[in-house]
Amino acid sequence: MSKTVNLTIDDKQVSAQEGEMLLWVALENDIYIPHLCAMKDYTPYAACRLCFVEVEGKKAPVTSCTQPVYENMVVHTRSERVDELVKKGFELIMSNHHLDCKNCPGNKNCELQKIAKARKLPLKPKKLIQQVNEELPIDDSMDKIVYDPRKCVLCGKCITACKENGNGILNFAHRGIDRVITTFGNISLKEAGCLDCGACAEVCPVGARSIKE
Amino acid sequence: MELTEEEIKTAKETSQNILENYTCTDRGKIIPVLQNIQNELGYVPLPAMQTVSDHFELPAVDIYSIVTFYNQFRLIPPGKNQVKVCMGTACHMRGGQIILDSWERRLDIKCGETTEDREFSLERVACVGCCTLAPVVVMNEEIHGKVTPTRVDGLLYSYQLDKEQEEGEEQEQKAGEENE
Amino acid sequence: MNNETFQKIKQEALADWQALKEKTVIMVGTATCGRAVGAVEVMRAIDQELANQGVKDAVLMEVGCMGHCYAEPLVIIQKPGYPAICYGYVDEGTASVLVKEFIVGDDLCIEFALAATEPNDMFPTFEDFPRGMVEQKIVMENCGIIDPHNINHYIANGGYEALANAIEMTPEQVLQEIKNSGLRGRGGAGFPTGIKWETCQNIEDDVKYVICNADEGDPGAFMDRALLESNPHQMLEGLALAAFTVGASHGYIYIRAEYPLAVERVRMAIEQAKDKGLLGNSVLGSNFNLELEIFQGSGAFVCGEETALINSMQGYPGIPRHRPPFPAQAGLWNKPTVINNVKTLSYVSHIIKKGADWFKSIGTPENPGTAIFALAGKIINTGLTEVPMSTTLKQIVYDVGSGIEKSKKFKAVQIGGPSGGCIPESLLDTSIDFDSLSKIGAMMGSGGMVILDEDDCMVEIARFFLDFTQKESCGKCTFCRIGTKQMLDILERITKGEGVLEDIDYLGELAQNIKNGSLCNLGKTAPNPVLSTIRHFRDEYEAHVIEKRCPALMCKELTTFYILPEKCERSCDACIGSCPVECIYSNEDRIKVIDQEKCVKCNSCLDACPPQYDAVIKLSPVDMLKVKENVIDE
Repeated sequence: MSKTVNLTIDDKQVSAQEGEMLLWVALENDIYIPHLCAMKDYTPYAACRLCFVEVEGKKAPVTSCTQPVYENMVVHTRSERVDELVKKGFELIMSNHHLDCKNCPGNKNCELQKIAKARKLPLKPKKLIQQVNEELPIDDSMDKIVYDPRKCVLCGKCITACKENGNGILNFAHRGIDRVITTFGNISLKEAGCLDCGACAEVCPVGARSIKE
Repeated sequence: MELTEEEIKTAKETSQNILENYTCTDRGKIIPVLQNIQNELGYVPLPAMQTVSDHFELPAVDIYSIVTFYNQFRLIPPGKNQVKVCMGTACHMRGGQIILDSWERRLDIKCGETTEDREFSLERVACVGCCTLAPVVVMNEEIHGKVTPTRVDGLLYSYQLDKEQEEGEEQEQKAGEENE
Repeated sequence: MNNETFQKIKQEALADWQALKEKTVIMVGTATCGRAVGAVEVMRAIDQELANQGVKDAVLMEVGCMGHCYAEPLVIIQKPGYPAICYGYVDEGTASVLVKEFIVGDDLCIEFALAATEPNDMFPTFEDFPRGMVEQKIVMENCGIIDPHNINHYIANGGYEALANAIEMTPEQVLQEIKNSGLRGRGGAGFPTGIKWETCQNIEDDVKYVICNADEGDPGAFMDRALLESNPHQMLEGLALAAFTVGASHGYIYIRAEYPLAVERVRMAIEQAKDKGLLGNSVLGSNFNLELEIFQGSGAFVCGEETALINSMQGYPGIPRHRPPFPAQAGLWNKPTVINNVKTLSYVSHIIKKGADWFKSIGTPENPGTAIFALAGKIINTGLTEVPMSTTLKQIVYDVGSGIEKSKKFKAVQIGGPSGGCIPESLLDTSIDFDSLSKIGAMMGSGGMVILDEDDCMVEIARFFLDFTQKESCGKCTFCRIGTKQMLDILERITKGEGVLEDIDYLGELAQNIKNGSLCNLGKTAPNPVLSTIRHFRDEYEAHVIEKRCPALMCKELTTFYILPEKCERSCDACIGSCPVECIYSNEDRIKVIDQEKCVKCNSCLDACPPQYDAVIKLSPVDMLKVKENVIDE
């Protein structure tokens, strides 16, 4: 039904189904674009603001997770403007992330580390004030899953995973800087009836939800 | 603030009664239902959210997500007297913060809290549209304009007088009844 | 046939209106602003006095807001043989005097009068004042003159004629007229209304929606509220025209819950319009159907953003999503949906009735029509005003607003609320329209205009707005959630005197990224108050950072209160009595001294000190206190 289109990403000729989102086309062709919240085959959530790219003809960088591909599209994953946005966005996320890679279950399997490496960005932002609420308690109530809200980047993937594989006990609560992913009435996973299926840990891009060793 | 057994019971019953008017489980009705509960109870506690989620056949956390998002919904019971300090631009420029500070100092609670004895709750409101009267305080739906810290004391004092009078009358009434 | 139905309705309304014109009518402005200062009590007093005086043939009527909020409560008296006169600052006492002297007697009581509301040879009208020469009323024309509870008043003044005309036209013709008029959305961004409607009209779908966005959340703006409270039918007619044009048969009015009176009046208006056959099934006998419903917002500024508004109507937190698709393509329940602001919709009937050319003759070619502003802050005539686009800010501040109160010095106009910016005196000749304002780093916004004087600190005002947007951020996207918090922290540091010089540039850098990187317009515009104050008032930022001084003496941590011993009257205890924390005492010479440790800097003593002594002063930086005290010690 949909037709194949040809486009250029960073001088590389690729083809894709028309209307597919650029981010996935790039990733499938081994062109890395930083991202945290995107889930393939779902409506783009567009919250992490890290997957910016330049598309020729557009006056400002666009998020590649929301940009459908079209015939003869010319994309640059790097530019001064893109780098600046990704750098600032990344710094902001890191200013709100409990940084402890050494003891983190997500170590070496972490999107944040991957982004830092790919874009040569420091994990510790220099000028920003740490915003992590260190008082948020770690939820260790389950046998298998453990949740450290101080590391959560609010990508929302675990909510979708829990709705589809578990019993839908997770969602966002509050707003603004207080926004968290939690259970009904902020009770422990155990009290909320968690099935311990581990689907949330599987999709977590950082070490916030993990499977115990 | 723990809810009493009585409060939990009322919350469930009230929500149930309100939900009886909604036969459908159309998601678009969730917020109107929650608004009705808030109007009836003055707040939307967890038991009420649970009742609503059962009706709409949704995980309870989805209702929690809505209630904690909007300013209008309170999770804790309001005080008998609700003090709202306007924090619109005009009020702010004329010392709205000073007025809020005064209330916090006098009631010994932070904005968004209710006093231990549940007599007062303190909130901030966005512009109530009385910019000419700035700074404005809304106390139990009555608007007080051009408020000063001294006026805050005055408002509290007149409330105490009213309360004492009420109690006095009650006692008199009781005494009268006993005499009969 | 349709027109005949309408003609009948119109004749009825005209008869009703005419009958009213022949009577003595007392109109009291009972919109929220009037009520706050006692309009309801004034009404009661008039009613009582009419009964006391045995007046039976006078009509006491509630009307909306004329915009002269500074003089509320307002009362208009129309007595046969006299021009209708508007009285201001009416209290219960004045009210009974007016009844006795003017209604029973024949004394106009000019000492209480503001102006006449219609031309006459006895008394000046509002149009005769400088303000009247600048103003031009289209959507506010009938506000404060007609009874919002009575549909006949609206119809008698030309209401629903546009709808009656439109249903004889094709939707394409109506659209063409709106497109030709160049009407731009008055919600803030100024997007052409015609294009929005066209997008929606072009999509084929059995179900479409129209929504009136009345989620006015800008702290310091109340135009939408006033319009809904004063003339709800005008918006309803606009919404009906939108529905007719795009082919919707269901519409909503999304009103914030903080506006209970507006909700009540709109609800009543919908009922009345239905009863007359102007809404509901088969409008005026045509095959156009329209059901309207009210949806109440729950207190979230971000719901003014259309995708967040839709989410909230669908029973979700009010969180914006990526656009496109735009709501006009896929909106409420994924159906094509037109969302327009109250003001935008209020223009529509006038354009259909008087034509696109008439509308274009007002304002500028790119920005046709008028603009409505809510004036607040340090200005004499606070209230609402409607002026042609291209009017200058200077005209608004000085002609409409009569300048700064207490003969203080003008400093800036904050326009557009949390999404807007501060405009300094040097740019007061800027004409107000969407394009000119965005050129100087401000924004038309929804129409809040706060006038600031020399006592207002520009860093503090920037902090105030950022604090607002930060609290109202939905928290979905990185830049808005964390970025605005980081900016707020820096601003707080600066207002406390803990800032460093690099902070100012870093603020600008963060601001630029938040603007470019945020998902929705709340985030994209949140940095504007900061960017514009840095641009125009950088010296104030520097004073806070370098000298630890707040030039406007507003930032608490940087100012201190001091009682000048040489000016203190000694025997007067006004300041002591006013202090809420009892931190002022008399020294051995009975001179009043402030205990700086305890002082909460609430301004009470400064206000309490009688003007003839004027002994309490503010100092900044705080170190100035030592200088003062040392002088005394020596």
